[in-house]
Amino acid sequence: MLSRPARKQINDFLQFFLILSAAVFIMIPIYWIISGAFKQQVDIFQLKLLFTPTLENFKIIFKSPYNLLDKLYNSTVVAFSTVVVAIPLATIAAYSFSRFRLTGERIMFVMILSTQFVPAVVIVLPFFILFRDLGILDTKLSLVLVNLSLIMPFAIWMIKGFIDGIPLDTEEAALVDGSNRIQVIKNVVLPMALPGVITAAIFCFILAWNEFLFAVIITTNKAVTMPVGLSMFHAEEGVLWHLISAAGIMIMLPMFVLATLIQKHFVQGMTMGAVR
Amino acid sequence: MKLENISKSWGNVTAVKNISLTIQDQEFLVLLGPSGCGKTTTMRMIAGLEEPSKGNIFIGEKRVNDELPKDRDVAMVFQNYGLYPHMSVYENIRYPLKVRKVPKSLHENLVRKTAQKVELEDMLNRRPRELSGGQRQRVALARAIVRAPTVFLMDEPLSNLDAKLRVNMRAELKHLQHELKITTIYVTHDQIEAMTLADRVAVMDHGIISQLDSPEKIYNDPANLFVAGFIGSPSMNLVKGELKEGIFKHSNFSVKVGLKECSEATLGVRPEDLELTNPENAVCSGRVYSFELTGESTLVTIQFEEDRLTVRGHNKYRVKIDEIVGVNIFPEKCYIFETETQQRLRR
Amino acid sequence: MRDRHLKYLFVLPALIVVASTAIWPLLQSFYLSFREWKLNRARESKALWDFEYDGWENITYLFDNYLQAVQDDLMWNAVQVTSIFTVASVILSVGMALGLALLLAPGGKFRLTVRTMLILPFAMSPALIGVSWRFMFQPDFGLFKAFFDVLFPPLADVDWLGDPILAMIALVGSDVWHFTPFLTLVFIGGLATVPKDAQEAATIDGATSWMVFRDVTLPSILPVLAVGIVLKSIFSLKMFDQVYMLTNGGPAYATQTLAHYIYFNGFKYYDMGYASAVSYMLVIPMFGLTWVYMKLVFLKR
Repeated sequence: MLSRPARKQINDFLQFFLILSAAVFIMIPIYWIISGAFKQQVDIFQLKLLFTPTLENFKIIFKSPYNLLDKLYNSTVVAFSTVVVAIPLATIAAYSFSRFRLTGERIMFVMILSTQFVPAVVIVLPFFILFRDLGILDTKLSLVLVNLSLIMPFAIWMIKGFIDGIPLDTEEAALVDGSNRIQVIKNVVLPMALPGVITAAIFCFILAWNEFLFAVIITTNKAVTMPVGLSMFHAEEGVLWHLISAAGIMIMLPMFVLATLIQKHFVQGMTMGAVR
Repeated sequence: MKLENISKSWGNVTAVKNISLTIQDQEFLVLLGPSGCGKTTTMRMIAGLEEPSKGNIFIGEKRVNDELPKDRDVAMVFQNYGLYPHMSVYENIRYPLKVRKVPKSLHENLVRKTAQKVELEDMLNRRPRELSGGQRQRVALARAIVRAPTVFLMDEPLSNLDAKLRVNMRAELKHLQHELKITTIYVTHDQIEAMTLADRVAVMDHGIISQLDSPEKIYNDPANLFVAGFIGSPSMNLVKGELKEGIFKHSNFSVKVGLKECSEATLGVRPEDLELTNPENAVCSGRVYSFELTGESTLVTIQFEEDRLTVRGHNKYRVKIDEIVGVNIFPEKCYIFETETQQRLRR
Repeated sequence: MRDRHLKYLFVLPALIVVASTAIWPLLQSFYLSFREWKLNRARESKALWDFEYDGWENITYLFDNYLQAVQDDLMWNAVQVTSIFTVASVILSVGMALGLALLLAPGGKFRLTVRTMLILPFAMSPALIGVSWRFMFQPDFGLFKAFFDVLFPPLADVDWLGDPILAMIALVGSDVWHFTPFLTLVFIGGLATVPKDAQEAATIDGATSWMVFRDVTLPSILPVLAVGIVLKSIFSLKMFDQVYMLTNGGPAYATQTLAHYIYFNGFKYYDMGYASAVSYMLVIPMFGLTWVYMKLVFLKR
């Protein structure tokens, strides 16, 4: 039998190797898109490992007929609007759920979470019919409305999780000192809940930005968002991989930046209800 | 067991600095000190949960630095008990037997006998979350003794119990250790536990052993200011002054102690070694700052300009705050320390 | 205003949004599943409420959509595809996430750095993930071709996305890649709640690392594990974006999940009544899972 220090070394090495493999596995699809974006189409066909990088692809996708800038604008406006509506409403609702008992709260929870547990298409069908009637199909407004069905529950769930984690003491002290409930929320709870609220806001922004199904159904032309825009790089001769990769970077990298910002608090919010 | 020049550091922080210690067979040794002094770290190194940065540990004749905890034949009782939450009391106590592959036929007998020793025979089917603190502690104890290890390690086992239970368990532990005759190392910050349980006490301070002696000597013959001030409740009175021509001079009083010169000296005297009397007959007098009736005595704190002395008086003694009282100091009951080195000056 | 009233006022706006964006469509869809609703009628939402009364004797026509679904081979194909996909992706992602969580739980710079990478796949648009994996599996110049060229020439010329089984493997692969890191983060959180004392006690009692895991760690994280499994199952059943981008249900419907099948019927063939009916058939197992999830989470309260 090997001595203890020797066995420990082998163990350490094995762990290091496994973790490194996992890290590589995580990065490969990401790297593949990034490298594709900077390659000329020729280089892609030839599967070159070493290539001269080019920014041409980015120039092309922003001009017509692709006009990615429009899609970028749409994505930003839709995601932003969804979050701006969802977060404030979710925050006060989450506060109430966290601090009070309400009659019928179980039913309310079921209602709120109901959209998470059905196939997303179910939500869109009636909206499609309605929007078509009202003539607001293919508008950012309609997309925001449908997105809310997905985002609102997440927002309430996450923010409630964060508020649950804030101790009651300071609130109760403020109430005893004479503040009314609204003042307590404004002056005591919000500052403490801010990291959680921001985390939830960023998370919901990412969800809305990446959202595909609703967008592909509701939008056709004017209100197309970037993920849907990916399909326009299918040409007769095949997929324009260099262009689609460049577009992919525009979708991917801003979200990576945002995700890294919130990654510390993220798990806390997602699992507050479960991990105790 | 022997610890030879043991040190432990993490980066810049050194928790244990060059400790050497020999522990006799069947001895009950207590590592005593305030939090952060390194006592728990030392114990964890003995257990094998931490590796020493420097030095050697011997159990019997064998050097065990590289041995896993499970191969050192030690048993440990944790401060928070460390019980297995998903197992019954029976399963908890049995676990060491199970993983050490003791023949199954012996399990039941051993577990029941051990449970009897700690008075838990009726609780064997319960889960830890259904038990009180004292009961959980006894499960932890039972789990440790069921396999009759070479060494017992106990990390502040009584600190999570309420005061009354603690006193009872102290007596139980002492009895158990005597009955089982197993070498025991016990970590605590409670000096009463140390005094009542130990064969020897190692008083630890910032990673070093300040004094290693029997409880009697720790109490009556402290080697330095740290030990003197740490042991005793209420703690020893310590006042600064000057030692000249065999006389300790304080702003309020002088005591003839017969020791050599020391420009900065500290005098230590225990509250029970001082006497309350009327101001005219006394060595010194001062104003009563506060007093406490403990039931078995009266503790009076007296203000002498910048210093305060606490005196343990008879439980019928009554006094008022701001009253002037006198205190008698007896030279033979005083301890003198050199303030700078903190060492005791002996005759 | 007293708390008594205020607390309802606080939840009201959110509930209104939920009711109008979620509950209303769900109820509408349910109603829709009993109607014959094709492209021409889809132009008029008012017509939704014209009920052509055919007499109570023939009431079974209400269930036409459902009957059609049950007899449709493609529907059953989608069920099979979805089942295989869900089982495979849940087992693989939860299993690997647990292993990875155990590896990454201890501290140290290396592990913490890798931990920050774990959020990235979750932040990537699933549609883009589909694109990326499709690109990697491209038979002429994809990453896997290069990979196999070097390591395993026999496999190099295989068109993964053209083969039913391999395409499914690719689909499962992309989904596992998507969710495993996220689940790992959840499990790392769960591992932090395991009582360290009990683990050390087990080590001293004589347990090997494997025994400590089996007897102390695993029982403690069982609740988190269960939540992870239920959550991932629900996500797998709903999965759509990757199928659309990676294989679009092909080759020959080999990767057409129920979500994709519903989409096809609803928005390619515009048979919305039928699409609704199939959706609601899927709702039943999902509702079962939801109920389990609620039980697990609310048990803590």
